Amino acid sequence: METATHMLRTGQRGALFQFQMALRDLRNSFQRIGLAWSLAWHDVASRYRGSVLGPFWITLSMGLMVLGIGFLYASLFDLPLHQFLPYVALGIVFFGVLTGTINEGCDTFVLASGMLSQTSLPMLTFVWRTVFRNVINLGHHLVIVIAMLTYYSYWPTANVPLALLGVVLMVLNASWMSLMAAIASARYRDIPQIVVSVMQFAMFMTPVFWMPSRFGKHQIFLDLNPFYHLLQAVRAPLLGQPVQAQSYLVLIAMAVVGWLVTFAIFARTRRRLVHYL
Amino acid sequence: MTAASITCTDLTIRFPVYGADAKSLKKALARAVAVGGALGRHAGVTDVTALENVNLQLKAGDRLGLIGHNGSGKTTLLRALSGAYEPDEGSIEVTGRIASLLDLSLGIDPSATGYENIRLRCRIGGMSSKQIDARMDEIAEFTGLGPFLSMPVKTYSAGMKGRVAFAAATAVECDVLLMDEWIAVGDADFQKIAHKRLLKLVERAGILVLATHEAPLLKLYCNKVMKLEAGVASEIVDIRKLDQLLES
Repeated sequence: METATHMLRTGQRGALFQFQMALRDLRNSFQRIGLAWSLAWHDVASRYRGSVLGPFWITLSMGLMVLGIGFLYASLFDLPLHQFLPYVALGIVFFGVLTGTINEGCDTFVLASGMLSQTSLPMLTFVWRTVFRNVINLGHHLVIVIAMLTYYSYWPTANVPLALLGVVLMVLNASWMSLMAAIASARYRDIPQIVVSVMQFAMFMTPVFWMPSRFGKHQIFLDLNPFYHLLQAVRAPLLGQPVQAQSYLVLIAMAVVGWLVTFAIFARTRRRLVHYL
Repeated sequence: MTAASITCTDLTIRFPVYGADAKSLKKALARAVAVGGALGRHAGVTDVTALENVNLQLKAGDRLGLIGHNGSGKTTLLRALSGAYEPDEGSIEVTGRIASLLDLSLGIDPSATGYENIRLRCRIGGMSSKQIDARMDEIAEFTGLGPFLSMPVKTYSAGMKGRVAFAAATAVECDVLLMDEWIAVGDADFQKIAHKRLLKLVERAGILVLATHEAPLLKLYCNKVMKLEAGVASEIVDIRKLDQLLES
């Protein structure tokens, strides 16, 4: 057994102490990262239990949606398929990682209330569980991405390492947003509804289904949209397009500031979270 | 390995009770606007003191029984000892691996099979996949469910569910064992082997803290007893003085 053999819990000792306790939670959650993986796999497996295709429903349903939307919009916008289909496929798949991680973040602590109220498991373990679950889903969706890029022969121009960097930045940012949603939803039960609405709105405001070139003079709204930069950093390199340096600046700054702020909120609310549930 | 120990010093736990109202953002915002800041926010939260200045010192070999009426703070104390609840004042220090059997259904997924649930529960308890593999046969045999373990837990009877949960929960090795109420599990046969297993666990575990209403069980498993009344703890006394404590 690899769990800690010493546990100390004390009354309030100020902000610095709370911060140290939050750091310890983080450290412990990394030490038992395997548990988060196991829980995430269990979630995915149990969702598709009993179905013939199992988790490959994830791939199949996404594939159908991509083809449907791809063909529809390509003819509506009068765009060539080889250009539009891979574009929209990558958009839907990677934006799905963002919506999934953030929307499911709302349930992270609420669903874990049983375990949180009778064990000393690190709270962040459950945040990683949500993040990993979405990474596993992404793994299933990659089949579609690879199929698209192969069929329309994008590989010669695709910059895979740069896209991987984009995925890392995306997961880093999505995970703090997920933690933020988890804390807020535990305290206020209206938050999940708000988060779902915001993410839906964001999906239509972000060039997932449409080309940013159509935005024209409203470019400023794209530059101010963090989801645009998140998506661009992954999609553009795979399609052999350049990513603006500005996007990386935004993403790194957002990851750092986002994690600092969210972690501070986590440190402040950590001892109370279990009572919210 | 150091010997197991539990030390609580002036442990006080208060529950903020967030009314159904307070969880709504609208209400919180409305109040903040109407009454303004701190006062508004305070109005929605009531504190309930669940434990007050509890002092407790246990060392390896101590098997403490907690008695008290419903709502006297027994479960809160167990949850605090498990590390879930943090004190508002005072401190808790526990040395040793803690296993909490507060709720047998912890981490049980009804749609998963018996085997999967055992695996999941043991992972939560802190065992690695390898350790679980090594002990799976033993755990499976203990449940006595044989081929049924490959079927989803939702098809089980309540007794069968109890067997799986109990077998998995007690498979985890620990130095400090926390148990809430005695959850009667399974039929008479299973009760007998469950009892044996618990005695073994109690022997192996350095410390047992058990909350129950039943005096016979206390006498069976515990050598010390403490009474909680509205969050205030009595002295820890020897189990032989149980009757006196119950009368007081």
